Amino acid sequence: MKYLLSATAALGMMAGAAAAEGRLDTVLERGKLLCTGHNGSFLGFAEVDDEGNWKGLDIDLCRGLAASLFGSSEGTMDIVPISWAQRWPALQSGDVDVIIKLAGWSQSRDAELNLAYTQPYFVAGFHVMAHADLGVEKVADLDGGSICVSAGTTTERFLAAYIENLGIEAEIIVFESGDEVRTAYFNRRCDGLTLLAPPLAAARATSENPEDHVILPDVIALEPSGIIVPEGDPKWLDVMNWMLTSLWFAELHGITSENVDEFRDNPPSDQIGKFLGVTPGYGDRLGLSNDWAYNLIKEVGNYAEIYDRNIGEPYALPRALNNLYTNGGLFYPLMVD
Amino acid sequence: MAKTYHKPTFIERIRANYFSTWLDTTLTLGFGALVLWVLLGLFDWAFLNAVWSEAEREQCGHGSGGACWAVIDARWRLIFFGLYPFEEQWRSAIACIAMVVTGALSCVPWFWSARRLPVLWLVGFAIFYVLMRGGLFGLTPVSEQNWGGLSLTLFIFASVTLIGMPMAIVFALLRRSHLPMIAGTMGVIIDTIRSLPLLSIMFTFAIVLPFVLPGWAVGDKLYRVIVGYALFFACYQAEIIRGGMQALPAGQEEAAQALGMGYWHRIGYIVLPQAFRNALPPTINQLVITFKETSLVVIIGFFEVLASGNAAYGTAEWNFAHIEVYCFVALIYFTFVFALSRYGAYLERRLAVAAR
Repeated sequence: MKYLLSATAALGMMAGAAAAEGRLDTVLERGKLLCTGHNGSFLGFAEVDDEGNWKGLDIDLCRGLAASLFGSSEGTMDIVPISWAQRWPALQSGDVDVIIKLAGWSQSRDAELNLAYTQPYFVAGFHVMAHADLGVEKVADLDGGSICVSAGTTTERFLAAYIENLGIEAEIIVFESGDEVRTAYFNRRCDGLTLLAPPLAAARATSENPEDHVILPDVIALEPSGIIVPEGDPKWLDVMNWMLTSLWFAELHGITSENVDEFRDNPPSDQIGKFLGVTPGYGDRLGLSNDWAYNLIKEVGNYAEIYDRNIGEPYALPRALNNLYTNGGLFYPLMVD
Repeated sequence: MAKTYHKPTFIERIRANYFSTWLDTTLTLGFGALVLWVLLGLFDWAFLNAVWSEAEREQCGHGSGGACWAVIDARWRLIFFGLYPFEEQWRSAIACIAMVVTGALSCVPWFWSARRLPVLWLVGFAIFYVLMRGGLFGLTPVSEQNWGGLSLTLFIFASVTLIGMPMAIVFALLRRSHLPMIAGTMGVIIDTIRSLPLLSIMFTFAIVLPFVLPGWAVGDKLYRVIVGYALFFACYQAEIIRGGMQALPAGQEEAAQALGMGYWHRIGYIVLPQAFRNALPPTINQLVITFKETSLVVIIGFFEVLASGNAAYGTAEWNFAHIEVYCFVALIYFTFVFALSRYGAYLERRLAVAAR
């Protein structure tokens, strides 16, 4: 499978070299954005509601991107259901225009698969959750205990290294799927459960008694995830980066989907006036309409709104590292001028 | 004095079979209690303590010890129809029923003729396709990537079988050819495809082929996968049919030859009907496997019934209820596979009459 994947990616590079026209022009011409969904559900990032419509943080970014490009995401966006294994070839073959699928920025993906990443839009830590009645406060307290982890992921390796560095003895129990590993933990097969923070918070929030479980503060490893486009298409990459900046800029200045109209009617500063398209410039340089950031915020809100709607409220996961720098997080907008 | 046969009563038989020695009695009681305990527990979980409607969701999972069927009540449309547009799901439902009815009708012996069966399936497929794809008769078009749930599973299964079965017959005949070139080449092809995992065949057809094929031949991902899967099915089925042919005495074909029958007559009237009868049990087996393995298309991003199930419990509200969703999906699979097996058993009995 791995060989097949890299062979596919290599084929993709040849195909990519042949297509000289930038993806931005292709998408604008087509009038439709092809964005990544999921084959099933990835909690908080790509889920399906009762009526079969997509929702989630990644999906909201897709909607925001479509709104930035076309003014509204209504009828201008197709969410293509895609599995994890399929995402790189799908980008190379043009089945999707962009990958917004919580994909961690690793060197092999960056360098070997010919992908270009934006600045991270979500930084997820691998954490350990433990039963509250054990009274543990950090991973080191699990000395002599056992920790469940799902197989074949990077988690297993990171956890082993972390435990080794701490110099404690903890048994690592490996399970095949996410459902299994969760069930095993809740049936007390193990003292701790290691997962990426969002699914871990989801597991806790949807358990019978969330108070019975504590998520330990240790960060086993960090996975910064960015939006991915094919390498060698700077204009398309620019759009992604400036969309993220716009979401954070709006949050920094308190612009939300509710009050964005007031901001546009009465911009408190020239900078915000330009940002919302009152005076030209913010869109022209990217090849978009000048009020694209207004459309974006109007459609999906700023970063805080997106986060709270999809992750914060349903799964009670604190923003922590995913806050703006002003709140002790990692994110900052680039310079809007 | 002549011995008279005493017909054992029901109780005598039970005693003889299950309670004849102390060991028998202990085993019977022990295992009986175990089975009863499991069944009662299951009954308790699935019926007595279960929560049935979405309105009572709050009672789910909090120590009641029962199943939370509320998740099915809330999300059944997602499981059956996947991402198909909500307002149009009646189309998917009718298409699904059309497919099942076509399948059921083709089990009726009246349809078993070279003329009626293809017409039946053409009509069935046409109804299914027009309803699902839309674009005709004022129906809004729905692209293949939004097909999903049970309708998609049935469509893939039916197409794979219908394309694969004739291919399998051709493959089997080529493999039996008297020309070593043809028989040898066919053998290599069959063995090569059989030695590849289905997953990688699907992946190749869905994702690698578009890089290689010219633009006009690419088609939708769904149809490429169906072709790839049909090829895989045909290779296995060809060997099953060949097995059925080899079980026939060579004298039959020679006798037909001596009577001056042509190749197609020999194959069509003498070899194939008997080969199919011999190959019936493994063929049903192969069909059951094919039905269940349609779930592999999830790897290339299709919302077949299992992936829809995954999406159904994949929200903050319902994430705890994955066991109930899996049970429900299992029930759907069971319904189809069990019907298929019973039909196979019926066919065997029917054909056995002809052999006697």
